[in-house]
Amino acid sequence: MTVGILGGGRWGFALARAAQMAGNRAVVCTRRDTTDRPEGVEVTGEVHVLGARATLIILAVPSNVARPVATTLGDSTTGAHYVVHAVRGLSSEGLLPISAVVRQETPVKRVGALAGPVLAHDLLEGRPSVIAVASHYPEVIESVKSAIASPSLRVSASDDIVGTEWASALVGAMLVGVGFARELGISEPLISGLMVRALREAASMGVAAGGLEKTFYGLAGIGDLMAAMAQQDARPEVAFGQRIAKGARSAQLAAEMGVRIEPIDLVPRVVNFARQRGLKTPVFETLAAVIEGRGDVQEITAALMRS
Amino acid sequence: MNEPTIFRFNAERRDIVDEVVSRVLAEAKDPLFLLNDAAYNEIKRLEANSGDERELLVTFRNLARSLGRMGDGERQTKLEQLARMYAWDVAGNFDPKVYRFASKVLPSLVGGLLSPLQTLAGGGPEASLREHLVTQGPTGDIARLAQIGTIVFVPTHLSNFDSVAFGYGLEREHLPPATYGAGKNLFTNPLLSFFMHNLGAYRVDRRIRHTLYKNVLKAYSCVLIERGYHSLFFPGGTRSRSGGVEEKLKLGLAGTGIEAMIRTAQRGRPQKVFFVPATLNYQLTLEARTLIDDWLAEQGRARYIIGDDESTQLERVLTLVRKLLLTEGSIVLRFCDPLDPFGNRVTSDGRSIDRRGRTVDPLSYLKRDGRIVMDSARDAQYTRELGESICEEFAKNTVLMSTHLVAGAAFEKLRAAHPKADLFGLIRHRDEVFVPRQEMSRAVGELRDRAAELEDRGLIALGPGVRKRGATELLDEAVRAWSGYHSFPVLTAQGDGYVLADTKLLLYYQNRLVVSGLGFSAARGSLATTSGGAARAGQEVSS
Repeated sequence: MTVGILGGGRWGFALARAAQMAGNRAVVCTRRDTTDRPEGVEVTGEVHVLGARATLIILAVPSNVARPVATTLGDSTTGAHYVVHAVRGLSSEGLLPISAVVRQETPVKRVGALAGPVLAHDLLEGRPSVIAVASHYPEVIESVKSAIASPSLRVSASDDIVGTEWASALVGAMLVGVGFARELGISEPLISGLMVRALREAASMGVAAGGLEKTFYGLAGIGDLMAAMAQQDARPEVAFGQRIAKGARSAQLAAEMGVRIEPIDLVPRVVNFARQRGLKTPVFETLAAVIEGRGDVQEITAALMRS
Repeated sequence: MNEPTIFRFNAERRDIVDEVVSRVLAEAKDPLFLLNDAAYNEIKRLEANSGDERELLVTFRNLARSLGRMGDGERQTKLEQLARMYAWDVAGNFDPKVYRFASKVLPSLVGGLLSPLQTLAGGGPEASLREHLVTQGPTGDIARLAQIGTIVFVPTHLSNFDSVAFGYGLEREHLPPATYGAGKNLFTNPLLSFFMHNLGAYRVDRRIRHTLYKNVLKAYSCVLIERGYHSLFFPGGTRSRSGGVEEKLKLGLAGTGIEAMIRTAQRGRPQKVFFVPATLNYQLTLEARTLIDDWLAEQGRARYIIGDDESTQLERVLTLVRKLLLTEGSIVLRFCDPLDPFGNRVTSDGRSIDRRGRTVDPLSYLKRDGRIVMDSARDAQYTRELGESICEEFAKNTVLMSTHLVAGAAFEKLRAAHPKADLFGLIRHRDEVFVPRQEMSRAVGELRDRAAELEDRGLIALGPGVRKRGATELLDEAVRAWSGYHSFPVLTAQGDGYVLADTKLLLYYQNRLVVSGLGFSAARGSLATTSGGAARAGQEVSS
């Protein structure tokens, strides 16, 4: 089969490589300069090529451009397509999951989401890994398995798409906390303790959004968190947290780092979401204060220890 | 307009039954299971209460005893006999002569029921009906779509009066009559049974729970849609107990819309299917008291029932009498924008369009590897999503009338007087809270203004005249409507104000505001409890 991938970042090409490893053809649509792409991956600048060549299209772009990209994709797709996204974030308006954005912007109904601990460089280098896929449509899950599952990539399926999307987005946010705490010299056991609290908070928010609690304790939640914590500096959110702890300001730092840090916009909004529903999320509240540069770092940390 | 499809129903009936039976048999992968399941469930039901169905109990007992000894051929024959018995029992009838007669008689009947005093005084039932039953929405578009494909009407369900009001609304808007599944219990009244039986209603016996019967019902519904018979389902399943607009649907039969598309497309003649949600809105609901009692009993389980007064049973008996006393009624039947079976909007020429206005071929949703295929898991999910779209339409097209707004304002006052009470605590404070007339009027005005803002944003609709009338006028209208209808006062006038008398009915009428966020939501209150549970888990960690 031919797998269409919309988004030519590292993540997009890593998924293209996974498709090749599964014995499929991959077409990546991007307008970037793509000199370091994997061998054999076809690249196009035209979205309609994806629509014409592939039934399964994977959306791999940052969340802030997901809507306009999906709108463009909508002109080249029909109800016969499957669209699965690999975005670790929620839409900037109203905390909508990206799958809902795809449904709003395209005629496609059969949507799904990718998440979990898999890292781009593992896929690119063909190291065995695992990825989570969620969809209400069994045929979407089957299609994703046919597209990317191989001896070096296990695909784990779930029908809790909302929970998967929230877990994936909130774990990214928690990683900022990991980087931040490490830079302050907080011990790994204490960081683990904080992350367990944060994961419970995340699960309560995910449930309020319509997801299942167990999803947070699966691959898309704790699985992703464990992998990211074990890999020093592998995820930009961790590096971002570290530099914030050194006194950098979020906005300026994001521009310097050259990659989108999803939690900058996300954390204040999820904290607000939790407050409106009467949920207690002290760790996420602290994260919001850290990201927004509010209050004294030592004081915030001490308060968290007491609460 | 061409003659409605249903006019040829009687000529096709035998053919329809044959098709239902052959379809049920073709899909029966395990006849032994179906027969066992039918025998087990029917014996259980009939042993509990066989009534005049003693013979049927004997039949099923014999079936259960002999099943093990039967060969495959014999089981197949038995299955066919049962399927055919059920298909004939379900199949409706349609007599155009009865339809034409009913079209003439029903408006007077309905008009008389809505305003008996006016009818007796010679005011003319037609005039009173025009005044009382308002139809809104894109009826012209729906009429066009009825020529292109099969319409499946999916209205909200509040009262037993709904099917009469809906049928009358269709007739008045020159929309074709629709066939619908009615509870078998409604066929016991000879007069009602005669009309229902000859106006295209088919019988659904809710007491029969086994798979074979459900398969027959689904096949019947599907065959009718395939053949272009416009249909009506109440997707909420039963009447709304709370008085609120349905926010969750049971869409078992609605799923047959997709199946009908697939089957006809596979035969090369795809039948278009359009879903038309509609809201039925009453200033007064016939069975308000009985329904809210049921709802509260379910919400509170034993806790509530124990605290209840003895008048409940008597009130149920009086419900029938109250029907005849209905005065000052006002009903709005509001049709929503038509949808395809996948929740896409449909234009008046029958094209499906996505949320960005692009034309989309509905058959494309049914394709896998380029071919149209049946997939029950996929189609169940499409139907769930259709249900969500229908609920969105219900919410936007809920029509608020004076009784809802006044109940909303009064219930707020009740909550303000008892801020710590939960739902059951609140409704126990009947006849306690006094609100000065001016204060009540101001609260009604404020609530109406908030509702008007929502209406401007297309999120809700206000009933005829509600926007223009003064708050005091709305208050007086609601109080007048209630006092002429419900056996006990809802608000009791006392000095220069009102006592919040019937807290349950205030809850019932204000529940109509919940869907737009203007009313107190008991369900969301309990959701908050769930979140509280999650928050408690968080505290556990921190302690």
